[in-house]
Amino acid sequence: MVNGIPASRGIGIGSICVIEEHELKYEAIKIEDTEKEQKRFHEAIEQFKKETEEMAEDIRKRIGPKEAEILESHLVMISDPTMADEMSNMIATGQCSESAVEAVCDMFIGMFSKMDDEFMQQRAADVSDIKLSLLKILLGVQDVDIRKLPPGTILVAKDLTPSMTSQIHKENVAGILTEMGGKTSHSAILARALEIPAVLSVPNITSLVKDKDTAIVDGTEGIVYINPEGDTLSSYILKREEYIRKQSELKNFHGKETKTADGAAVELFCNIGTPKDARKAIECDGEGVGLFRSEFLFMDNKRMPTEEEQFSAYKEAAEIMGGKPIIIRTLDIGGDKDIPYLNMKKEENPFLGYRAIRYCLGNKEGYRAQLRAMLRASAFGKIKILIPLVTCVEEMRSVKELLSEIKADLDAEGIAYDKHIELGCMIETPSASLIADLLAKEADFFSIGTNDLTQYTMTVDRGNADVAYLYSTFHPSVLRSIKRIIACGKEAGIPVGMCGEAAADPLLIPLLISFGLDEFSVNPVLVLNTRCVISKWTKEEADALAEKVLSLSTETEITALLKANAKE
Amino acid sequence: MVSRKITVTNEQGLHMRPASIFSQAMTPFSCDISIFFKDKKYNAKSVMMLMSACIKRGAEIEIRCEGSDEEEAMNKAISLIEGGLED
Repeated sequence: MVNGIPASRGIGIGSICVIEEHELKYEAIKIEDTEKEQKRFHEAIEQFKKETEEMAEDIRKRIGPKEAEILESHLVMISDPTMADEMSNMIATGQCSESAVEAVCDMFIGMFSKMDDEFMQQRAADVSDIKLSLLKILLGVQDVDIRKLPPGTILVAKDLTPSMTSQIHKENVAGILTEMGGKTSHSAILARALEIPAVLSVPNITSLVKDKDTAIVDGTEGIVYINPEGDTLSSYILKREEYIRKQSELKNFHGKETKTADGAAVELFCNIGTPKDARKAIECDGEGVGLFRSEFLFMDNKRMPTEEEQFSAYKEAAEIMGGKPIIIRTLDIGGDKDIPYLNMKKEENPFLGYRAIRYCLGNKEGYRAQLRAMLRASAFGKIKILIPLVTCVEEMRSVKELLSEIKADLDAEGIAYDKHIELGCMIETPSASLIADLLAKEADFFSIGTNDLTQYTMTVDRGNADVAYLYSTFHPSVLRSIKRIIACGKEAGIPVGMCGEAAADPLLIPLLISFGLDEFSVNPVLVLNTRCVISKWTKEEADALAEKVLSLSTETEITALLKANAKE
Repeated sequence: MVSRKITVTNEQGLHMRPASIFSQAMTPFSCDISIFFKDKKYNAKSVMMLMSACIKRGAEIEIRCEGSDEEEAMNKAISLIEGGLED
């Protein structure tokens, strides 16, 4: 068994084909007729551009525009004045095309590979690809035709050049193993796009195997078995079937409504951190955004973002969501999230201190800018505002007061906004949970933040290894709290969502169905899985399980019962 | 010669795509356009040189343009960087 970087999920089993590296040997001769050599060089460059354009076009059509970007960037690089022109200058002094190509490329490879930045190191791989392709063209070397490999081939190579990857088809390549490359290398990106399992950066893999060896590629775990024992092989054949079954099952949930087995619809939203993530939410089939953390605008910044900057970010996200709901949480700093330029005081107990809504209400000018930006952006999509860390009714009332002042200003200035914009209250403190009935009268919706609710209810710092064992949403206290919050929301007739990690937990989902949660907000990649789990439970089954769970006294008993009844 | 200092604010800094958008927009100008970063000079018309500068988000750079169309080139450069170098 050997290990590497798990770069593309899934399990591939098949027969190995090692792609040999060609030796690109040439003699560095002194050129007399430099004009003829220039012509040879420029013809090679033209051929390179033509081939690269064709490959980019093929990948764009077959896989997608994003995947074709690597090849397009090779075209940009070769057209750079410091590349082809520099090579041409060297040829003018009497060097042959091959040594000119090698010298200029090696200079850039050396420069990029020294940088402490994975993306830049990737550029070294790009220049290396360009060099190889140009040398092959100049020396008239032909690559192996990967398209003609038999089905069930495990492709093994030092590295995959774009010309190789563009020939890979899912029908014949069952897995990919290389000695180079990481999760963001183009081989990884293409392997994921084609859904071919891949393990990269496997040390010496090209010399460890020979053609026709059998190999198992576990692209989920980054494990490779060469000529595995019968037991390993049969267990991996089962694993592969299970994986394929699960994947195709999940795919069936794309574009479907989220509903329980007995047909009750619930909403399935996504948690996002930047406007760009909104695209991911759409791609992953999220039905809206249940939590857009606004902190990204404030962190990694040297000063407070202006109202304008915030407005354009919220507007961008709202437009990407195209009318689907997007719940934006106002600034949630303090606790473990510090923003240097705000000069917040060092506190003995930051999690019990001046954070989130407490800070915002104490710094009304900054808060006003954020609320105003959200209101203005609400003219471009279905924005809702969510207030974090509420502990008492006064906080909701203060926000409402601020909002009505800002709305009056906007009306006076003739600026458009959604007059029916909803204001939500996060329930993530024991206090808010205990007065959920009172808060329900002040809010248009609830959103349960399970991470903080668990931490505050259990009085545990989950970063502290000595007490982290207490951090579980399955303690009877936390479950009772969640049940009560949802019941209070129902009683008042307002929807209740959940945006903590727990909303995607297959063990918790039946309980949430039983309690009557209206909206689940999860990491985009977990949308289909969550929809699949929800679809397996009827309200009746979920109620029966919840009743048993609530009669138990310990977290251990509860998780054991939930695991025993889990539906995967 | 005109010179301006500006902070790079786009998420990725001057990586492949932003650097290529920038250098391609600078190429049509006839003036010399350079970027000074950490006391080094880089040709702004070259995507390779721009990437070699490893300019990340939050970095302050100086742009210098010298030639007949230096004003226009500078305006274009500033508006591109302020706009976040997206296509």
